[in-house]
Amino acid sequence: MSAALIALQGVTKSYFSGGVETRVLHGIDVQVPRGDFVAVMGQSGSGKSTLMNILGCLDQASAGSYLLNGVDTLSLSRAELATIRNRTIGFVFQSFNLIKRMSVAENVALPLIYAGVSRAKAHQKALSELERVGLKDFARRLPNQLSGGQQQRVAIARALVADPPLILADEQTGNLDTQTSVDIMRSLQQLNSERGITILLVTHEPDIAAYAKRLVRLKDGRVLYDGPAAEGLRQLAASHTETVGQP
Amino acid sequence: MNVLQVFIEAFRSMNANRLRTALTMLGIIIGITSVVMMLAVGESAKKFISKELEILGSNLLIISPGANRTQGVRARTGTAPSLSFEDAAALNELPSLNGAAAALQGFFQITSGSDNSNNSVLGVTPEMFKVRNWKIETGSYFSDSDIRAAAKTVIIGKKVADQFFYKADPLGQFLRIDNVPFQVTGVLQGEGRSFDGGDIGDLVLVPITAARANLIRSPFPRNVHYVIAQGKSDKAMKDAETDIKEMLRDRHRIKAEQEDDFRIENLASIAEAGAKISTGLAALLGAIGAISLVVGGIGIMNIMLVSVTERTREIGIRMAIGAKPRDVLLQFLTEAVVICLVGGLIGVLLASAGAAAITSTGKIEVEIGMQAIIIACAFSSFVGIFFGFYPARRASRLLPVDCLRYE
Repeated sequence: MSAALIALQGVTKSYFSGGVETRVLHGIDVQVPRGDFVAVMGQSGSGKSTLMNILGCLDQASAGSYLLNGVDTLSLSRAELATIRNRTIGFVFQSFNLIKRMSVAENVALPLIYAGVSRAKAHQKALSELERVGLKDFARRLPNQLSGGQQQRVAIARALVADPPLILADEQTGNLDTQTSVDIMRSLQQLNSERGITILLVTHEPDIAAYAKRLVRLKDGRVLYDGPAAEGLRQLAASHTETVGQP
Repeated sequence: MNVLQVFIEAFRSMNANRLRTALTMLGIIIGITSVVMMLAVGESAKKFISKELEILGSNLLIISPGANRTQGVRARTGTAPSLSFEDAAALNELPSLNGAAAALQGFFQITSGSDNSNNSVLGVTPEMFKVRNWKIETGSYFSDSDIRAAAKTVIIGKKVADQFFYKADPLGQFLRIDNVPFQVTGVLQGEGRSFDGGDIGDLVLVPITAARANLIRSPFPRNVHYVIAQGKSDKAMKDAETDIKEMLRDRHRIKAEQEDDFRIENLASIAEAGAKISTGLAALLGAIGAISLVVGGIGIMNIMLVSVTERTREIGIRMAIGAKPRDVLLQFLTEAVVICLVGGLIGVLLASAGAAAITSTGKIEVEIGMQAIIIACAFSSFVGIFFGFYPARRASRLLPVDCLRYE
């Protein structure tokens, strides 16, 4: 148990609007050991974004337990959750989510600034992280002076700057062309294999999910499949031909 | 997150919306300018009064004889021969007074060699120097024997000394007042306009008895033109006035239903009346300042709320990568405070320009003191914290998941 970086047990999430309860997640049990590379797939409405928000400590589960790195996140205050996000999780979003007014280097350094690292040290670390993604020369630029692929690499540098054990990526290639997507996925794969960083990504594209080792498919708030990525994708393709491919 | 970083970010976001920041600041600028001007004008008025009073001698009451009535027509105040040497001497003994001094005043031609001028001449007693706070620079004060003997000696102000004796030592020289030779025995210290229109430098003082005997002759030889009395303290002036009134009514045998045959004026209150205009102006500026600070503060609150809404996504990003609610609160609060502080600084500069403009008119000297600047900074920080807190707290209470969904 303690070896798992992520341990979800019976996690449910409900929203209330107008007194009506809408249950988005119905008891999710997922364990993710360190060094795993997991793709979460599902159609819209399957609850994958909600699950990602809970995994990222951006939102809290209604019931069940979520141990992240051995810490029970349900009992934490907002400030403590912020610290967990800062130290343990690196986020990569679909829309990059860089702060427009700040230079590339400042964007990358920001997690360290919030961690209380001095400006000079944070800047140093940001530059070395930018160097790894090949964007050191762009350090002084503003984010919107960069291409989409470059911006996403800046976001990856920001996600990595505080050396978190976990990267959460949400449709991180959704706004990118195919070649750039491939580049981004290769670099994530590399991070996983070379630096041993656990990666969990949400996607609806089988091509992207194929880069992962493991696949978790959600449907209507329940886990439909949890196993090796290759097998899962084969099943998915088969079900696709069954339903869509019928004459 | 360290303080420097918080300030850098505050300046950056102010810079991103320059026009908006400037407009937001305007209320604070006007408010702080007014407040600083109010403090400076108020302070200057106070200084002005105390300087006047210093020249005048402090806590002075001037007692003049009442009006002469001839067949029911009331003549000018001071025309009745109702105040005497003896009144002054009696008043001098009053325990609520530091002293009382009688004076005769006249306008005479003064000559020395070929120089001549028309000058006001005062006949005074030795007490006058104490009461008016006049100091001798060279020479000596009048002595009691000068008074008794009606000695023809004269003490002059610096300007008079310069006019008649230029650089020579005036002591021992003679001035002819109305053609009567008086020997100079002293020169007064200081010059400068005093509130009653006189200048210490222009004074020509002779023993009151000598004035009566040689210059200001009268069918009532014991009468004086006025008596100046000095109260013990500015708080006891009312008591002193009452005591003087009682004593003089008693001495002049005035019946209960009769009017006083003299008048008592408080010189300080005259000076204060003059300063009231500046105090009134200061109060007006203060009111404008207070109103614009409140309005400016509301403007800041408004803009900060807009800013929080506009930057919801940014708040979400910051929270996702590790900003605690406290960090977000601090960021927005600092922004509001920095807007106010910069506005306050501009306000102080504008007020300095205003003060210089007023000073250049030559009427009154207005100076911005350190105290005014500190108060301005404190005020603007307070406005920033007070009106910036609600928007900042609102930002800090947003949930990261909602912020990241916000488009």
